[in-house]
Amino acid sequence: MKPDGSLKLLAEVRDLQIVDKDGKNCGICDDIELEGGPGKPLRIKALLVGPGAYEGRIPKWLFGLVKAVSGSRLTRVPWSAVDKISARIFLNVPGEAVGLRRVEDRWVRKLEKVPTS
Amino acid sequence: MGGLIEITLGIMTAVGGFVDVSEMVFAAQAGSRFIFSLIWVFAIATIAIAVFGEMSGRVAAITKQPVFNLMRQRLDLGPGIIALIASVVTSLITCSAEIGGTATVLKYLTGWPYPVLAALTTLALVAIIWLLPFKWIERLFGLLGLLMIIFAVSTVKIHPDWGGVARGFIPQAPVTLPLKDLVTWGYFVVAIISAVLFPYETYFYSSGGVEEQWKPKDLKINRIVAIVGFALGSLLAMSILVNAAVLFRPLHIDPSIIGTSALQAAIPFGKTGLMMALLGMVFAFSGAAVETGLSSAYSLAQFLGWEWGRFKKPHEAPRFTIAWLATFALALVIVLTGIQPLDLVEWAVVLSIVVLPASYLPLILIANDRKYMNQYVNGPISNTLGWAAYAMICIAAVAALPLYFITRGGKL
Repeated sequence: MKPDGSLKLLAEVRDLQIVDKDGKNCGICDDIELEGGPGKPLRIKALLVGPGAYEGRIPKWLFGLVKAVSGSRLTRVPWSAVDKISARIFLNVPGEAVGLRRVEDRWVRKLEKVPTS
Repeated sequence: MGGLIEITLGIMTAVGGFVDVSEMVFAAQAGSRFIFSLIWVFAIATIAIAVFGEMSGRVAAITKQPVFNLMRQRLDLGPGIIALIASVVTSLITCSAEIGGTATVLKYLTGWPYPVLAALTTLALVAIIWLLPFKWIERLFGLLGLLMIIFAVSTVKIHPDWGGVARGFIPQAPVTLPLKDLVTWGYFVVAIISAVLFPYETYFYSSGGVEEQWKPKDLKINRIVAIVGFALGSLLAMSILVNAAVLFRPLHIDPSIIGTSALQAAIPFGKTGLMMALLGMVFAFSGAAVETGLSSAYSLAQFLGWEWGRFKKPHEAPRFTIAWLATFALALVIVLTGIQPLDLVEWAVVLSIVVLPASYLPLILIANDRKYMNQYVNGPISNTLGWAAYAMICIAAVAALPLYFITRGGKL
């Protein structure tokens, strides 16, 4: 179940591991996107995943370094894809369905050709 | 979690992780330069690593989270990234020191050129991690690393002044020494604390706990493994120190060269002792290389939320696999630049102690947090020992760089 009480977003959602419907790790919730406006309720729109979400959370020089090493990829995971939150965030869909695990899957296909035990 | 696996994990952590190349170098030098006056530092640092090891295992069993996930949540993203970079660099340099140490010892055994042996060592380790199931890797390095027991057997055989050894456990400083030597002694205190408390040991240990799905019922075994495993490793390190004080000091042998310590077993046991010591060192150092290489990948994968795990096949955790492959490749490049393994050891130790406060703070905070840990939160003993150990590593971290530069890495 999603928490229905007041949720301390920054402390309880940000920086948590995201796990998809198949139990696979899909990255970390790097930030949260909210929607709403004056006089309207504030709602969570999406979880932001990827180094692109670091901007604004870390000093500019450090973001520059991160960007140079890993780019500034950013994936928006709609809040409707979230199943429950405990010490990890569990999705109700496979990661691929919301744009996660793209790099991981590409490497799976390359590495599974190499023999192992 | 089967009993045998836990014990093997304990042995591997104790031998492969505890007596690694840096511990061997510093223990031998400590004995030959300062006789028994640094034994107590090993003892106190061992209590500290046992406390943090137990804590990381307990946190893994209860929160199902490895140390690096917690670090990010507790330190926040910016400081977390800095800690990540520092930890990856430290693991990389430590890994290259272990590969360099293994190649140096193999050179004594085969006479082949050092760069060739470094490359062969790296290739062999990569092949072993790639091809063998992790349980076999644990058994291979854990059991063959037990050859290191020859150092403890040698200690018994050479009949040291046991009273003097016992007095070495009492905290002391050789205040009668000239200032120059006293400062070098201080550098050794910091280096030994760092070598015993290398952060990769807790990353490796807690990651294993998460992967093996430890549960609250496993906590008792976790406590026994942490205490007995680390104590066993520490006794081996202390025996190297005592042997160096008894055998090397009177002959003015400088054991700063990796491999010299094998003479400790050769003097009482001849060629057989020498071979056992050298082979033990090969497996202990290369076991530590495996742990450090994988630790670097653990840090990255856990911080960034990738699939990770040593029990997974390489393609099942592809970015984790690429991370450890890259660590070994870079470690080999560092070794092949011609930097002396001993310098790598010094850098690893100094860098590691600077990183330590950031590594252990999130761990101790989480272990104290009832919201995460429920009834398994730190008790008064864990808490007192944990914070005392934390204060010790903070002091050592502040003192590390000045002492390193003043003593030119203990070579003053």
